[in-house]
Amino acid sequence: MDVLETKVIELKGVTREYAGHGSVVKALDGASFDIHAGEWVAITGPSGSGKSTLVNLLGCLDRPTSGELKIDGVDVASMSAKELDRFRADKIGFIFQQFHLIPYLSAVENVMLAQYFHSMTDETEAREALEKVGLGARVSHLPSELSGGEQQRVCIARALINNPPILLADEPTGNLDAANQKIVANLLGELHRYGHTIVMVTHDPEMAALAQRKIALSHGKVFCHPTSGARMVRLQRRLDLA
Amino acid sequence: MPSSQLTMTHILRRSLVHRRARSLSALVALTVSAGVATALLTLYADLDAKLHHEFRSFGANIVITAPASAALPANALADVRRAAGDDALAAAFGYAVATTDRGTPVVVAGTDFAAVKKLDAWWSVDAWPAENDANSALIGQRAANFVADEHDVKLTFAGKPVTLHGIGRLRTGGDEDSRIYMPMAAFTAWTGTAASVIEVQVPGGAAKVEAAIKRLQQTLPGMNIQPVRQLVEGESRIVDRTHTLMYAAVLLIALTVGVSVLATLSASVLERRRDFALMKALGGSQMQLIALFLLEALLLAVVGVAAGFIIGSALAWAISEGNFGTAALPRVGVLPLVLLLNLTIAVMAALFPARVLRGLQPAALLKGE
Repeated sequence: MDVLETKVIELKGVTREYAGHGSVVKALDGASFDIHAGEWVAITGPSGSGKSTLVNLLGCLDRPTSGELKIDGVDVASMSAKELDRFRADKIGFIFQQFHLIPYLSAVENVMLAQYFHSMTDETEAREALEKVGLGARVSHLPSELSGGEQQRVCIARALINNPPILLADEPTGNLDAANQKIVANLLGELHRYGHTIVMVTHDPEMAALAQRKIALSHGKVFCHPTSGARMVRLQRRLDLA
Repeated sequence: MPSSQLTMTHILRRSLVHRRARSLSALVALTVSAGVATALLTLYADLDAKLHHEFRSFGANIVITAPASAALPANALADVRRAAGDDALAAAFGYAVATTDRGTPVVVAGTDFAAVKKLDAWWSVDAWPAENDANSALIGQRAANFVADEHDVKLTFAGKPVTLHGIGRLRTGGDEDSRIYMPMAAFTAWTGTAASVIEVQVPGGAAKVEAAIKRLQQTLPGMNIQPVRQLVEGESRIVDRTHTLMYAAVLLIALTVGVSVLATLSASVLERRRDFALMKALGGSQMQLIALFLLEALLLAVVGVAAGFIIGSALAWAISEGNFGTAALPRVGVLPLVLLLNLTIAVMAALFPARVLRGLQPAALLKGE
């Protein structure tokens, strides 16, 4: 079977509700879509459209109120919190907008932290991961001694270290200048070429255009998932205006 | 390059050093708690001995008298010392009413000066007679007015004269001031009267005194054996109140320190919510995160005990030296209790932050919401 035929993420009528002040808010309303292995998918939408809720669900940080959510073929909706912790460490590599490196650990130790919570640490492997993202000479530096772009590359090395089937990038270039944005975009492109599945939440139409496929969200609903980057930009503009 | 491991200890050490001001603040609070607990428990352990030592200076707490028109058995004093215990003090007294050279009646008491000096340490005496001086005398403050020359005291009992050398003056503010004390052997030889009263000082509270009285009653059946109630009850009351006061002080300090440590640890968790959220996102389980946090609190508690034990022992030494005149030596026996107290404070103080960790929403925190 072709890699691209393998579904790593499957949503069928996924709803996530939150109790509000005397009412129930549907943050995600009956979302259904699939993401295949090796795909690079961009999730876009204005603030309050349900992107964060979707990231929580795809990242196994939350469970749907109803519907079926399968990650790598496993239904996570019925998992206990403990099982989800384990599953998350195995299946998801997180890339955050604000990097979220532990300030008192060096670059290599921050990468090893993901190993620590996954299984066991291996400094050699962590150093190699940093070399792959071009930080071989900065392994012993603390986050405060690294630029924003370098910190994001440490974050990417950390996301990759346990070889998860899915990379979940939440606004990966949102805090970067143009030069570092380009470095990170190239790095993601390279990872995609190597066969990694990337799910990227972004506000940036240029970044979204790099993805093979886009999923647009509006008011908790999956609005559409066109295949053309140019169409996506136009659609996004309409959504933002709305 | 050799491959090294990232361990919980490593993360903990780096975290403590990175947030050194916060760590130091929690450590100081836990050191104060351990120090005060060590000092109070060390003093508490020595308290009974020290208070009983102080109470000894108030004299006898048991008085043994022969029934009317009878005498104490010849070996009564030896029996009393045996029955009362090795740490008890006892002295025998014989009393007679003699006439001074001024024709004034005066109570003369025969006793063992060496024993009285220990038993009635509270007496104010300017010079104690020597043990080998058979005719020496201690003249009470008021009794001195009844004699012509207090250095050459002439007394008559039943027509039999005796001359005593007044060596020192006695001031107690009580009946003793109207008496003349002389050695028991010379008193018996002169008056033909044996000891009729034995005063005993048993160290310890009311229960110990009561137990001694029971033993004395078995040893000397038919004798009147009475506790000096005010003294016995007063001692018990003071010892009990001091115990209560020390318990209350330890509890109050533990509570104060507990609140301080709670505030510090809570602030520490709130500061690092994003770090913990990240660890959770990386697959860290609830147990791992709470263990990391608890371990940090426990580590600070143990280091606080080590420092607090040294400081508290020094404090107890200084307090004891200043108040009782004898140093309270460090007691390793209090260490388990101090450790238990500090660990309890640390765990209790960590419970609230642990609740915060349980309710952590990683996605929202990592998004910066």
